[in-house]
Amino acid sequence: MSNSILIPADLWEGDAEAVITSWLVSDGAEVGQGDLVAEIMSEKAQFEIEAPASGVLKILEEEDAVVAKGATIGLVE
Amino acid sequence: MSATIKERKLTIARAMAEAMAQEMRLDPRVFVMGEDIGQLGGVFGNTRGLHEEFGSARIRDTPISETAFIGAAVGAASDGMRPIVELMFVDFFGVCMDAIYNLMAKNTYFSGGKVSVPMVLMASTGAGYSDAGQHSQCLYGTFAHLPGMKVVVPSNAYDAKGLMTAAIRDDNPVIYLFHKSLQGMGWLGTEKGATVAVPEEPYTVEIGKAKTVREGSDVSIVSLGAGVHHALRAAQQLEQQGVSAEVVDLRSLVPLDRKHVIASVRKTGRLIVVDEDYHSFGVSGEIIASVVEHDIGMLKARPQRVAFPDIPIPFTPPMEQWALPCAAKIVAAYQNLKNEE
Repeated sequence: MSNSILIPADLWEGDAEAVITSWLVSDGAEVGQGDLVAEIMSEKAQFEIEAPASGVLKILEEEDAVVAKGATIGLVE
Repeated sequence: MSATIKERKLTIARAMAEAMAQEMRLDPRVFVMGEDIGQLGGVFGNTRGLHEEFGSARIRDTPISETAFIGAAVGAASDGMRPIVELMFVDFFGVCMDAIYNLMAKNTYFSGGKVSVPMVLMASTGAGYSDAGQHSQCLYGTFAHLPGMKVVVPSNAYDAKGLMTAAIRDDNPVIYLFHKSLQGMGWLGTEKGATVAVPEEPYTVEIGKAKTVREGSDVSIVSLGAGVHHALRAAQQLEQQGVSAEVVDLRSLVPLDRKHVIASVRKTGRLIVVDEDYHSFGVSGEIIASVVEHDIGMLKARPQRVAFPDIPIPFTPPMEQWALPCAAKIVAAYQNLKNEE
């Protein structure tokens, strides 16, 4: 089973991209559904990204990566 | 599936907020005041979530009047409360220094010990993102020089939470200086090494205790705040040259853990101090003096310092980066030291 960690398409207005500022859980570590796993920053607002399910985190986009709304940045397997 | 570990890392910003929230749940006397620390959650993210949980009575946004709200905090602390106040940038100390230094730091002395001032003054420090000379200083030496206040400077989220909890519980005034590049806010330039695993339960890191964050035998690199991360990168580069560097994180400036520094230099015989504050009359000179006064015979070479030159901090990025400490300058300082031996 795999659940994608997505940047929600309605997280902010406009088409600006964001940067992953922190992964708060290491690749391969266990996470619980709803756990805070990453922070991203768009212009001057910071947003929280939570785990969509419980399982093992697989990071697809590293810190400092530039990401758009709707992008998949990781998986919970 | 391989064995997995449940862990939770925090940025320094989140670690500070968590410490404040936990102490506020335990102690109704604790409250927070400052500019934009309420609904916005602090311009450096360190009060996020507090207004939502505790409301406007305990998380108080103030007008832009540092003299008034720091003075108010001194009064509240003297009357039995335990305020945490934020001076948004340490550079803004000028206007409110009377409240900080003649009231907060000295009221215990002036009252013959009858009045204690258990407050925390937190302020952001540091350069590197082109915010010019009035938003980029560290001023570690300025505050550490003046008696009557403890001064702490965390370099990672674990210490940030433990030092904040210790500062709130301390019956003395504590200056808590956090470096902007360690906060985990992208626009300030984020230092990855500052985001580390942090226990969920409350704990303290003792104020006045340094920590060896990397063991080594050839040279002691002593630093604080963001400088610790430059020192760790330099130690990695030196390792490739066959040099074993030890890195000491001061964590507190007042009280200063001179014993820890001296023990490290006794082992390695060489000392480099890395400080983002100005070169002269500051932390780097104090560390070197502490070692030399104790026993000059421990040193195999002249001590070196990598500090900010004695100039106002430039706005333009090439000039600012030229002036700031970095790993390459620390490695060069080691080469200087070896060339003289």
